[in-house]
Amino acid sequence: MIIKRTVDMTRQSDDVIVKTLSRLLIPFIQIYALYVIAHGHYSPGGGFQGGVILGASLILLVITYGLDNALRRMTERLNTILCSLGVFIYAGIGLLCVILGGNYLDYKELDQILHVGIAQARSLGILGVEVGVGIAVMAVMVSIFLDISTGGLPSKRKET
Amino acid sequence: MEVTILVQAADESFRILEESRNRARQVLDTAARLTSEAQILQRKRVEAIFKGAKQTKAEVIRFISTFILLLGFWLLLSGHYDLFHISIGVLCCGLVSHTSHALLFANPRAGDMRVIVKRFIVYVPWLMYQIIMSNLHVARLALWPKRLIDPKIIEFKSKLESDISMVTLANSITLTPGTITVDVKDGVFYVHAVSKKVAEDLMTGEMEDRVAHIFMEADHVYVQDILDMAPIFVELK
Repeated sequence: MIIKRTVDMTRQSDDVIVKTLSRLLIPFIQIYALYVIAHGHYSPGGGFQGGVILGASLILLVITYGLDNALRRMTERLNTILCSLGVFIYAGIGLLCVILGGNYLDYKELDQILHVGIAQARSLGILGVEVGVGIAVMAVMVSIFLDISTGGLPSKRKET
Repeated sequence: MEVTILVQAADESFRILEESRNRARQVLDTAARLTSEAQILQRKRVEAIFKGAKQTKAEVIRFISTFILLLGFWLLLSGHYDLFHISIGVLCCGLVSHTSHALLFANPRAGDMRVIVKRFIVYVPWLMYQIIMSNLHVARLALWPKRLIDPKIIEFKSKLESDISMVTLANSITLTPGTITVDVKDGVFYVHAVSKKVAEDLMTGEMEDRVAHIFMEADHVYVQDILDMAPIFVELK
């Protein structure tokens, strides 16, 4: 026996307070997440934390404005691409260091192509890796949440 | 015999005259119709262009104001004011305002934002005063709990219209000690009040009036309405 399950793509929160406040807060949450990622080499935080905050802002969007609305901004295809892109950036910078003659993720070798001094090269290398980690973590968070909320069903637009 | 021929000829000429007149009228009518249709089409096209330009302009304004707000927030967070960090900030703000400029300014009547901000700043000290006063009242309730505590849920229909004003009122009620907004459904507020005095204070509706004043609602004239009316008055003159 096959049980047919459908996902209500347009289900939204019906509370005006939750909807309005999340509408006003989501851009600031996203900017905060990007700040955490971009200042990870100076202050606490970094790729993972920023990525989680960025993912949480998208999850808040799904909860309040419905799957349909959120998938218009962040399609599952784009999400998968970002997921791999993040890992690619991380591994790519690591392997670039190996190619340039150092160890894996040995940022001082990046000075050979950036010409900015060893300390600056290390800083930029860490920033690049953090951006990669942030993108990957955000995409994975969102993809896990989408899988849970759609019950693993392929989330196509409902044909009406 | 000749008379009949004459009459026939006259009839014929009349008929031809009538026919040609009819045809001329038809042609004129068609011409007039075509011209008016062309005019309507032209007007519609101009209106569409104007409307599209208006929409694009509104979108650009929304984008720019979101961008400025977010960049201010970024500069507040970031302590590093060198070129590298600020350029990262500009990049991030551009990205976020591209994806979510429709979120922050979803209110269509955002033209009079400066007035709203000014009135909101005036509203905050009054709210602070209310919070302090009801704090004292709740402290008294806590010290002599016997007579005064009378918890109940009151329910009132609000005259507020937009979501943002309803949220402001609901949060102001929750911030004031003694009252908590339980739910807002279709403009009806369900508020839990801890004592009779608090409930009566709320039911006077002063807070609601002030919130309505901030967002220019209910008994206030919209600025946009006046702007819309202005061309009509000019034409009447």
